[in-house]
Amino acid sequence: MKFVIIGGDAAGMSAASRAKRQDPSLEVIVFEQTQTVSYSA
Amino acid sequence: MRLGHRAEAIDIAGGHVTGSGPDGKSFALGYDRLLIATGAAPIVPRRPGFDRPEVVVVKTLEDAQAIKARLQSGSVKRAVIMGMGYIAMEMAEALSLRQVTVTMVKPRAELLPWLDAELAATVRGELEHHKVELRTGFDVARIEAGKGSNVAVVDASGASLAADLVIVAVGVQPNSRLAADAGLQLGPARAIAVDRQMRTSNPAIYAAGDCADAFHVVTGQRAWIPLALRANRAGWAVADHLTGREVALQGIAGTAVFKVFDLQVARTGLSVAEAAQAGFDATAVTISASSRAHSHPGGSPLQVHLVGDRRTGRLLGAQMVGREGAAHRINAPAVALHATMTVEQFGQSDLAYAPPFGPSWDPLLVAANQLIKKMKEES
Repeated sequence: MKFVIIGGDAAGMSAASRAKRQDPSLEVIVFEQTQTVSYSA
Repeated sequence: MRLGHRAEAIDIAGGHVTGSGPDGKSFALGYDRLLIATGAAPIVPRRPGFDRPEVVVVKTLEDAQAIKARLQSGSVKRAVIMGMGYIAMEMAEALSLRQVTVTMVKPRAELLPWLDAELAATVRGELEHHKVELRTGFDVARIEAGKGSNVAVVDASGASLAADLVIVAVGVQPNSRLAADAGLQLGPARAIAVDRQMRTSNPAIYAAGDCADAFHVVTGQRAWIPLALRANRAGWAVADHLTGREVALQGIAGTAVFKVFDLQVARTGLSVAEAAQAGFDATAVTISASSRAHSHPGGSPLQVHLVGDRRTGRLLGAQMVGREGAAHRINAPAVALHATMTVEQFGQSDLAYAPPFGPSWDPLLVAANQLIKKMKEES
């Protein structure tokens, strides 16, 4: 299954990392318009 | 991770996202499940001069680094902060500590309209004590080149404030355009409407974080109060639902805390006005107690404001201001709101006591006892 995420900050990266941890077979793609991920974490 | 990639449209019928990459080339990618986590953006008024380089917002790491560089260059002697919310106040403190003279402006009369007037007066006193000038009723009409300063901030009546830096902190709005363009349902403040599993009105698309709404545990209604814990939790909920785990988020109580100089300001739930708006028969008390037992040196006043519903006796909200003991004490009433406790039940809580941390009757319990009495007298 292909899981696409728009936005790589708190909600987006929380979802990406937890989804991948719970199901390593998932294909997770994150689009982030800046060069910074999870800057507020 | 695809950094520097800007999503520009969601094609729901085709099940794909399109946008442009770092090289300017467009991309398209199909999805089985999509999460919109586009956050929120600072509101910047569309008025003359707001595109000047001295006018900044506080949102991203880059924004903060740019402000810091400007301060380190030594060219900032005076700053005007537009807005008087918590980001504005945190910036007022940060700039003052760097010897910048700060003036805060806002169009309306009240400092923090959601905060009880007595508590708001304490916050005002703290800002004024630290030489921050507060100009309520100052509606910025334009920002223009200054004489002897970088810019002049001018209001509708022609009053002018000199500034080397202008920080715009008048609020945020959800980045929901992608969702709206795709025809997804929006909620309050045009945030993306989601259910307790973070699903939007399209079953293949989730939304989470500052771009999405939430259910308020006190009103049961949709609300948009974008804060970090909810964003992280909503992200987890998406992952859980996607991977087949059971999840149903309770929602938010609007719990928030911030520091302004030596004061802690904390809130959870509804103010009296918000409670009345939501249809409750709201009443409230405001008390001041000591942050430590009277036998213990170094205590300071802790103001507590509690809101209850006369009809049902239910606790609806709490607010606190003090030099110590406000920030984490708010978590007790926050949990009580999740548990839909009455003021009487909350007043029966076995709260912690030792002299360095508070009186034997915790300030929250003192307030609860007074609110119980008031609700009885008024009903």
